[in-house]
Amino acid sequence: MIAALLLLIPFISALVLVIARPAQARPIALVSSLASLAVVLYAWISYTGGTVIHYDLDWVNDWGLRFKVGYDGVGLLMLILTGVVFPFIVATGYGQQHDRPATFNALLLFTQAFLYGVFLAQNALLFYINYELTLIPVFFILLYWGGENRRAITVRFFIYTLLGGLALLFGIVYLLVQNGGNGDFTALASLSIPASTQVWLFWALFLAFAIKLPIFPFHSWQPETYYMAPLQGTMVLGAVLLKMGLYGVYKLVFPIVPAGVEYWQTTVIVLALIGAVYGGVIAFRQSDLKRLVAFSSLSHVGVLCAGLFALNAYGVSGSFYQAFAHAILVLGMFYIVGAMQERMGTSDMSVMGGLKGQAPRLAALFLLVLINAIALPLTQSFVGEWLMFAGLWQVDGWLAFFALTTIVIGAIYMLYAYQRVMLGPDRTNVTLADASTRDHLYLVPLIAVTLILGVYPGPILELLDAPVQQLLSSLSVH
Amino acid sequence: MRRCNNFFQAYRYTEMSVLVLLSVLGVVLLYLGLFNNRGAVAGVGIAGLLAAFVLIASDWHLESPLFNGIIQFDTYARSFSLVMIVVTVLLFLFGIDYYAKVKENVAEQYALMVFSLVGGLLICSFTNLVVLFLGIEILSIPLYILAGGKRDSFRSGEAAFKYFLQGSFASAFLLMGLALIYGATASFDLAAVEAYSAVPANGQNMIFLLGLFLTIAGVAFKVAAVPFHFWSPDVYEGAPTLITAFMSTVVKTAAFAAFYRFIANLQLPGAVETMLVVMTICTLFLGNIVALRQTQFKRLMAYSSIAHTGFLLLAFLGTDARTPDVLFYYLGTYALATVGLFIVLTLAKRAALGDEHIRIFRGLFRSNPWIAVAALLMLLSLAGIPLTAGFVAKYRVFVLSLTNGYIWTTVLAVLMAVVGIYYYILVVREAFTPQEQETKPIVVAPLNWLVISICGAAVVVLGVMPGLLRM
Repeated sequence: MIAALLLLIPFISALVLVIARPAQARPIALVSSLASLAVVLYAWISYTGGTVIHYDLDWVNDWGLRFKVGYDGVGLLMLILTGVVFPFIVATGYGQQHDRPATFNALLLFTQAFLYGVFLAQNALLFYINYELTLIPVFFILLYWGGENRRAITVRFFIYTLLGGLALLFGIVYLLVQNGGNGDFTALASLSIPASTQVWLFWALFLAFAIKLPIFPFHSWQPETYYMAPLQGTMVLGAVLLKMGLYGVYKLVFPIVPAGVEYWQTTVIVLALIGAVYGGVIAFRQSDLKRLVAFSSLSHVGVLCAGLFALNAYGVSGSFYQAFAHAILVLGMFYIVGAMQERMGTSDMSVMGGLKGQAPRLAALFLLVLINAIALPLTQSFVGEWLMFAGLWQVDGWLAFFALTTIVIGAIYMLYAYQRVMLGPDRTNVTLADASTRDHLYLVPLIAVTLILGVYPGPILELLDAPVQQLLSSLSVH
Repeated sequence: MRRCNNFFQAYRYTEMSVLVLLSVLGVVLLYLGLFNNRGAVAGVGIAGLLAAFVLIASDWHLESPLFNGIIQFDTYARSFSLVMIVVTVLLFLFGIDYYAKVKENVAEQYALMVFSLVGGLLICSFTNLVVLFLGIEILSIPLYILAGGKRDSFRSGEAAFKYFLQGSFASAFLLMGLALIYGATASFDLAAVEAYSAVPANGQNMIFLLGLFLTIAGVAFKVAAVPFHFWSPDVYEGAPTLITAFMSTVVKTAAFAAFYRFIANLQLPGAVETMLVVMTICTLFLGNIVALRQTQFKRLMAYSSIAHTGFLLLAFLGTDARTPDVLFYYLGTYALATVGLFIVLTLAKRAALGDEHIRIFRGLFRSNPWIAVAALLMLLSLAGIPLTAGFVAKYRVFVLSLTNGYIWTTVLAVLMAVVGIYYYILVVREAFTPQEQETKPIVVAPLNWLVISICGAAVVVLGVMPGLLRM
């Protein structure tokens, strides 16, 4: 029932939106996303551990297509993440002027439906189908509502992502053929593939996720796409879509090609950390707030991936914990970017400065969102980053050291950005509105989540504990 | 009563009645042309095709050898015939609007398509190599005329002439190949040739080898496999759009059905298998890469058709019981998407006063949202995006080729699929980019709207429930 509701609520609402009047679009989308949030929270409350399978239906069995949906703890966390994030993304629309709002919100909800599909799928092919389908609505969001140069950037983003996607399809088909057409994750995990095959099969499976995250050197699509995308599109990309990459690695790479993972572990961690440091340094050089946040996201994601590939309890749990924190952070940061754009007409920081005098509340909210970005203790990010560093430390001290430097760099560019926007003498000639009720309604819940989960991370870590232990013990068997 | 049963028994040889029915239908259409009643021509044509459809479908799974066993209408032949008939019906429906402004010779065009279809039915049911040759000729000769259907168009004439010259060249290859095979095996019977090939030593027989090479080359010409593809872009571009659609769907389906029927049970000597692999690789590579450079939609579709030939050939490599079903699904869904897109092209081209550049689709979503969405679905299907039929088709081809151990060829095919997505998505981008300046609106007649909708819906329905289209 839960799975069906999660898949159908956004999907049917999206279909309704196609014929809805523009004025009704945002309320319908908001109600729909809140309804699916309620379902997700109900699933969380009623979850008692283990892997829950909701449906296991024939689709076209002899071709490896089964409609098998359910979730374990990690999957549930991802569902919660999707459920929490979308009401905020839809609500962001209240501050935006869109051409065709009904279609826009329909596309957002289609994305949500397919994302639920990704996190619910227990069959490799079903996972793949939903994974690729998330791309289609996002493609149109970027193409129709994007900023400057959107036609070229959107196509590049699309092709880049699909390159990885088709490599993944190749890997999945290869596995299916080895496994006699059974594509269930549990069946694939028990497959024993020769180590020499795993070494190349690892990249067939991982490339898609490496591009989706993205890690260095597969990141070149990311900054431009984030910058060009409409605000809500950037939020979708940064808050949830890239989490599919982490989840995919957890579900499709670790259990199936453990020897390949072992072989490439250090390489991936090093690449991810290069990306993390590189993203941080580039972010420091940006004079545009939206670009800066885009590069900071690149930097954060590098650390997420490195933590995941530490392949121990600290690293993997920390990575998923931080994935949740990062989603909340992305929403907050990009909302601030949007709020600045709305007030100043641009996100260029060189024309800002000293805004704190005119908008003290906005400045305070910005600061509260920002302390999550620099992983200050008592914020959610602190828990996640700390766990990941502990995990990396167990792998190699130097890797942990480089991961830690990204925090320092992050603190530098974030605080420097805050200084350029909010502090100093007032360099703007416009009169600025302070944070409105809408801004408070939006940002205060996000900040509250950050602080609560920063102080009391237990509920989420509990979800992660059992599946991560299970994964690690199955890896040590191989 | 008994006599009555015998009477019906005689008519259970449906394939014969179908061939007779369709041939007579063609003649009837020609006569209707005398009265210059255009509506009646299309109507009678569609009614006749539907009757043929019912005749074939009613005796499903009945395998009856005919004419001393030179034709056999088995499930394989029936399935492909049904696809060809359905697609021809869709094209006839489109023809009502397409030929509305044409003054003369409309009935001839319909009749020639029906005659060509008869050839198509023959070559997907042959069990004797002579029928293969006859069928291919019956299929092709009407096409030479149809390609030149626009008599006052220079390009159309060029297309017809090129097609005729290169087609006769291919026919000569084919005939020579069949003669050599006969020389080696002393039989035109497919089963006898198969039995001959099963003896390993015979694989070394140069006459037999050369015969196979030339025959495959002749058939490869019809499916436009590299390096026998040179005719296709020019002919596709020059021929009237309806005929281009007919060639890239019905003719392609027939040719592939014949191709596979020919090699399905042959024990191919190593050299011939290498030839097939090389042909597959070249077709995949060239079709997709050259399509990247195309800006004219019809040429783009021509190269995309070559690219799809590559994917279909990939399914040929190695023997597998599932191959016919995969080919059937792939060709059927490809044909549906292609027909729909060619109709959209015709409408857009009309509004753009004959321009064929892909920019004529610009603003389609603004002016005709539903047509744009249907076109989107068909393009996504050709590109192989999930939940459309094209995805399932490509997926099944990959499963086949990996099962047969062609890992590196599959890797190439996957890469080329990405390239394919690129050029289809460029067309999607045009359709969903708002048009800056005012242009002539695209007019969609109700019948065309219906056909486009059928095609658009079909690729999604068959993508979600692929089990519906099974041999």
